[in-house]
Amino acid sequence: MRNPVLKALRVIARIVIVLFFMFPIFWIVLMSFQTNAQILTLPPSLIFKPSLANYVTLITGHLQTSVGTLDVAFLQNLGNSLILSVGAVIVSLVLGVPAAYAFARFRFRLGEDMAFTLLSLKFAPALLVLLPLSLEFQMVGLDNTYIGLIWIYQLITLPLILWIVRGYFEDASPDIEYAYRVDGHSWLKGFLKIAIPLARPGIAAAGLLAFIFAWNNFIYALVLASGDKQPVTVGALAFVTASGIQYGQIAAAVVLSIIPTLAIALYAQRWLVEGLSLGAVKG
Amino acid sequence: MNALDVSALSVSYGANEVLRDVALDVRPSERVVLFGPSGSGKTVMLRAIAGLEPGAIGRIVLAGRDVSLEPPEARRLGMAFQNFALYPHMPARENIASPLRAQKLGAGAIEAKVRAVAELLKIDHVLDHFPRQLSNGQKQRTALARALVGEPKLILFDDPLRNVDAKLRYEMRIELPRLLARRETAAIYVTQDFREAMAIGDRVAVLIGGAIVQFAPADVVYDRPATLAIARLFGDPPMNLIPARGEAHGAGVRVHAAGLAFGFDAKPPEEPVFGIRPEAVTLSAGKAPGRVAAQVVAVTPMNERYLVLLRTDDGTELVASHDAPPPGADLWIGVEPGRGALFDAATGLGVASSSSAEEIAA
Amino acid sequence: MSDIATRPDLIVAKPVRRRANLLPYLLSLPALIVCIGVLIPFFTAVWYSLEAYNMAFPSGRHFIGIGNYIDLFTSGEFWHTVALSMIYMAASVILELLLGLGVALLLRERTKLNNVISVALLMPLMVAPIIASLIWKLMTNPTFGVYAWVVDSFGLTGFHWASSPGTAMFTVVLIDIWVNTPFIMILLLAGLRSLPTQPFEAAKLDGVPARFVFFRITLPMLMPYIITATLFRMLSAIQEFSIVYGMTQGGPGNSLMLFQLRSYIDFYQNTNVGRSAAILMVLWAITFVLSKLFVNQWHAMRARSNPGA
Repeated sequence: MRNPVLKALRVIARIVIVLFFMFPIFWIVLMSFQTNAQILTLPPSLIFKPSLANYVTLITGHLQTSVGTLDVAFLQNLGNSLILSVGAVIVSLVLGVPAAYAFARFRFRLGEDMAFTLLSLKFAPALLVLLPLSLEFQMVGLDNTYIGLIWIYQLITLPLILWIVRGYFEDASPDIEYAYRVDGHSWLKGFLKIAIPLARPGIAAAGLLAFIFAWNNFIYALVLASGDKQPVTVGALAFVTASGIQYGQIAAAVVLSIIPTLAIALYAQRWLVEGLSLGAVKG
Repeated sequence: MNALDVSALSVSYGANEVLRDVALDVRPSERVVLFGPSGSGKTVMLRAIAGLEPGAIGRIVLAGRDVSLEPPEARRLGMAFQNFALYPHMPARENIASPLRAQKLGAGAIEAKVRAVAELLKIDHVLDHFPRQLSNGQKQRTALARALVGEPKLILFDDPLRNVDAKLRYEMRIELPRLLARRETAAIYVTQDFREAMAIGDRVAVLIGGAIVQFAPADVVYDRPATLAIARLFGDPPMNLIPARGEAHGAGVRVHAAGLAFGFDAKPPEEPVFGIRPEAVTLSAGKAPGRVAAQVVAVTPMNERYLVLLRTDDGTELVASHDAPPPGADLWIGVEPGRGALFDAATGLGVASSSSAEEIAA
Repeated sequence: MSDIATRPDLIVAKPVRRRANLLPYLLSLPALIVCIGVLIPFFTAVWYSLEAYNMAFPSGRHFIGIGNYIDLFTSGEFWHTVALSMIYMAASVILELLLGLGVALLLRERTKLNNVISVALLMPLMVAPIIASLIWKLMTNPTFGVYAWVVDSFGLTGFHWASSPGTAMFTVVLIDIWVNTPFIMILLLAGLRSLPTQPFEAAKLDGVPARFVFFRITLPMLMPYIITATLFRMLSAIQEFSIVYGMTQGGPGNSLMLFQLRSYIDFYQNTNVGRSAAILMVLWAITFVLSKLFVNQWHAMRARSNPGA
């Protein structure tokens, strides 16, 4: 970098970009430790006495509002998110990893059709499936059940796992599995002892990414879950409506709801890059 | 009872027929080399024998047992892959033990056998290393150990020395036949390298375009290639192939090539081609009967020999492999008795072997 | 020629072929069942779109063929939705592309600082869009929102963010940019870093000007990644729901009535199932074309980045 003006511009650009993308998260975290009075003070100040009151309220579940005490089920929302996301990812792995292997190792017509159908369903408007499904779930008694929700969450998690893991299976030399079979091991043993361990980074990346997408999903749960089955995304919005002006608690709820995905991102950022590009770019 | 009998084996990928009605037999303890240019179907044939080509049609009998319908794990043979195909998540010890685990042997027996084969291959000091920690040569030996350890009756080698350096290739060329002989193991060995084929093979099957065009002891393939294509492929430098003129001569044919004449016991071919191995071309400084004059065009040392490119007065170019630098720029050349071969370029086939050839002065 | 392999002694039995392989079908069957399960509501939706079906008057439900579609294509409200969705898609994708490309170029070198920054930029992408809209609601709150305060301090007191029809689109596009630019940045950064270095070194040796290098080397080589990222973002932007729903539920008025918001409101508020389904079918047709393009592009890009595979 010979030109000092250019160099300075690049430094400034970096600062502006980091501010734009990081400041809202940073500020919400600060708000979550403030009382309503502190939040409402203008101009905003970075110096305040932090308080855990907002988190305590959310965790104990009793919210003081101007009209009395309101019970909030935010912890239950968090629990629901966990059940739905983990459940959906596990089901997708069990269904998707063998199918991804089949797509990668065998050229069969049905496989290509199915892979594309699943992917195009993922890209289709969610409501197209969800609105009829909400009526059909009522008919078969799956409305507002974990099973029904986990099943429809497959639309989010299954294509992701199928496509990312498939790429990993394709990249692994089939000779290694062949060698294992020539050694005298059955196909199933080769699949479990060779193919799966070799694709493990891809399976982990796909699983984590699928978890993030399931956790962050809003529209599926908005249409299909009510009350006690709502995940944090739906719960947080309902909480905003219910709590009205309890801004500190809203901020705390936001922070609690984004901690899991941010933690995964920090822990596994290298894998996520591969996953986010659906395996098109090897990180 | 043969170690292997293959008959009527065909493999197609869609409309593309990769192997066409191939037959092959391997006798007990015999080493058969599958030789051919790349894309000729060597690897496909090996995989079909191992049961790794689901589209294969044909009959495969291993030590008297028909395994045509058996999956690879039931065929009980050993295989060494070109890219080693080691299990990257297992240490060398577990890689080698894999066939024994499949046989459900006890831990003590497995350890003893792994150690024995590892010592034999001089890799006993790296048994705890993972494949990525092994040198190329150690990977190679680990893969061989894995193929050997289960003491199969037949081992398939898919060009195992392709990806290793020259020194290692040289070592293994000598060591491998010794190892196999020791265990009385039959082997099929795929290679594109004629030196390897000569060093390792008891018999050589030449595969070109999905068909076996010659299956004979290595020296027979070398001295009497069944087709022009084999003559061009098998040998480095390859056989000199000189367009010739032929006329009926008694019961046989007299062939004129490079100013020399040779007699063969055969009908005159339509387009005769005379073949002679470079090392069967003799050089001398002085004129003698059965020799023609030639000029040295170029000299290249190769290993301990010298390759001499020569041109005769009639314009024919040919290569001689000589154990000393040529004794001058203008020489007299001849051929060793009984080393010439006659082909017909119209059919591509060998017409007569040189055992019947006699040189006649021009 | 007696050497050539012929084995008259071996009785050539009739050739045998191993059975057809059922394994791939068995392996993908469970996923297939889930796939079929999802197709049922899809076909139900197709059927709804051909019916006059209002949940408030279930007895009046009947088949009307393409009646819903005729109603849609002759209604100004529908074309308003189409126009808004296109504006939303175009504005967010173009801006994200420019910003994402700029950031990727800025962070191209593998320095420690750049890696830390690129991880930091990943964070908004990890925030659920609905939660992002809540965050921005707090940031732009007219009473205490820090962004609202900053804008006011600059004297722009008439700027009402999402609560005024004139600035609502700007606000939701801004949030979309905040959430999704990191996706484009990551993909392009990975693309940039995977480019072969020789053309750039050669250009440097030849003293080729930076602008020329960018337009003639960098950009063309990066194009597969740019197209993939663009198609992927177009696919999700044309369907955006969460950000707008969280901010304004399609308002103020119907100033943010994008496709899926329109159909959601038609379904739940107007209980008009038939029209809601017809709107979604139109949107589906658009996404189907885009997803087909995307899948082809993805295959091409994968083939390019892993030539061996």
